[in-house]
Amino acid sequence: MIEQLKNIWQRRELLYYIVRFQMKAEKKNKVLGFVWSFLDPLLLFFTYMILVHYIFGRGGPQFPVLLFISLLSWRWFASSLSRSVTSITSKVGLIQSVRFPLAILPLSGIIIGFFDWLFGFVILVPMLFIFEASFTVNILWLPVLLLIQFVGTVGVCLISAVLGTYLSDLSNIIQFAIRICFYLSPIIWMVEERVPERLTTLYMLGNPFAGMLESYKNVMVRGVPPTEYVIVGTAVACVVFLVGLWYLSRNEYKLVKVI
Amino acid sequence: MVNVSDLGIKFKMEKRRRSRALAFLDRSRKQQWSPREFWALRHVSFTVERGETVGIIGRNGSGKSTLLRVIAGIYPPDEGRVSVDGEVSTLFSLGTGFNAELSGRDNIYLDGVMMGLTKMKIDGIIDAIIEFAELGDFIDMPVRTYSSGMRARLGFAIAIHSDKDIVLIDEIMGAGDAAFKQKADAEMSRIIGEKTVIIVSHVIPTIEKFASKAIWLDRGVIAAMGEPKGVIEQYLAASKVKKPPPDEE
Repeated sequence: MIEQLKNIWQRRELLYYIVRFQMKAEKKNKVLGFVWSFLDPLLLFFTYMILVHYIFGRGGPQFPVLLFISLLSWRWFASSLSRSVTSITSKVGLIQSVRFPLAILPLSGIIIGFFDWLFGFVILVPMLFIFEASFTVNILWLPVLLLIQFVGTVGVCLISAVLGTYLSDLSNIIQFAIRICFYLSPIIWMVEERVPERLTTLYMLGNPFAGMLESYKNVMVRGVPPTEYVIVGTAVACVVFLVGLWYLSRNEYKLVKVI
Repeated sequence: MVNVSDLGIKFKMEKRRRSRALAFLDRSRKQQWSPREFWALRHVSFTVERGETVGIIGRNGSGKSTLLRVIAGIYPPDEGRVSVDGEVSTLFSLGTGFNAELSGRDNIYLDGVMMGLTKMKIDGIIDAIIEFAELGDFIDMPVRTYSSGMRARLGFAIAIHSDKDIVLIDEIMGAGDAAFKQKADAEMSRIIGEKTVIIVSHVIPTIEKFASKAIWLDRGVIAAMGEPKGVIEQYLAASKVKKPPPDEE
């Protein structure tokens, strides 16, 4: 597995170019091009604002900024995951022409997703001021949270990239699973409002993403440290990362033959 | 330089790919689902010396491309051993790595990095590539606007300039017009003797002209190997017997 990480590191220039050119190609044919990087998260945000704030009449004064934070992080995870399922099968010609670590394919999707997060962050910064977020030293946790999310996302995406190659049905399942998990995570609703107090611990332990999202909100808006449940997310992320690396390294050569 | 000994590559014939994904759920099912195997290559042994040019001929599905992929390190051998001493430049059905939305220039970088070149190296050879491919102003247009000949020329130009020790070429000479073919031929003649080249081609004259050794693959085994003229004659003779002529790609 260490061997594998080394191989990926050796081909980092390839990863860089795949990411750069993929982003370029995606934006190239659009009239608004680059502007979509900012419009996409904004439109997503407005959609849920209409749904939650106006239709259901929920959410407190800081809800918009909390929603935006959750949406950004969730979108990073969800888009990486849905890209990863077909990341190998969509590059058959390439894989059969050049030897390179297959992990680069799902990884490039995750990095592109992270750039989307960054573009969203540019919009988030003024929002933090508008909605009077409390800035404290706890904001320094943000890179740590991002790293945890990155590690976990890599793990999940490596597994889904391998499984998705063997099992085409996975892309249908994943789309559905992403949707369900979206509603089961505290994105368009608040833990303190919707989860009964006696079940809070159980819920936070059961959904590693809940701890992550609450921690993002804590460090950026509430000005307090991450919730203790971030440990669940961290543990899950590390385990999934190792499993993903192991699973891919076990299957790498077999995959090349079945595509 | 390239040493292949008793190489065997087997594929599993499966209608779907699911079996191995779910195999871990139920160990006993592994047996039941065990797909039929077939050997794309078996008992293949040969060596290619430094500076030698080897031509591989054979009908469709005889294992030619699989063999190149093994040498390129894409498939690990299931049997036997393959040792390659030097860096391999791969060139398969031309321009497979190209992203149609990107310009030719961007694709040169992408393709070059794929092959393991560094950005600095590509910066140094990009002008030569563009000039050789005769793309002119098209170089900054998206590749989707290219004709198949233009794509092929670009792919060939990148591979030939990548300056690797071993060049693998699959079905190249069919691409491009007469003028470019001449130029490609000239370039081939230049690198022959200097580089180790392995060509897979249906175009017999290409093999005849460049190869110092020919290998005829028939259903995954070497049917004949040696001096190109003799091998080609045997191959052609064998092809004639078959009633429907082998359909060329």
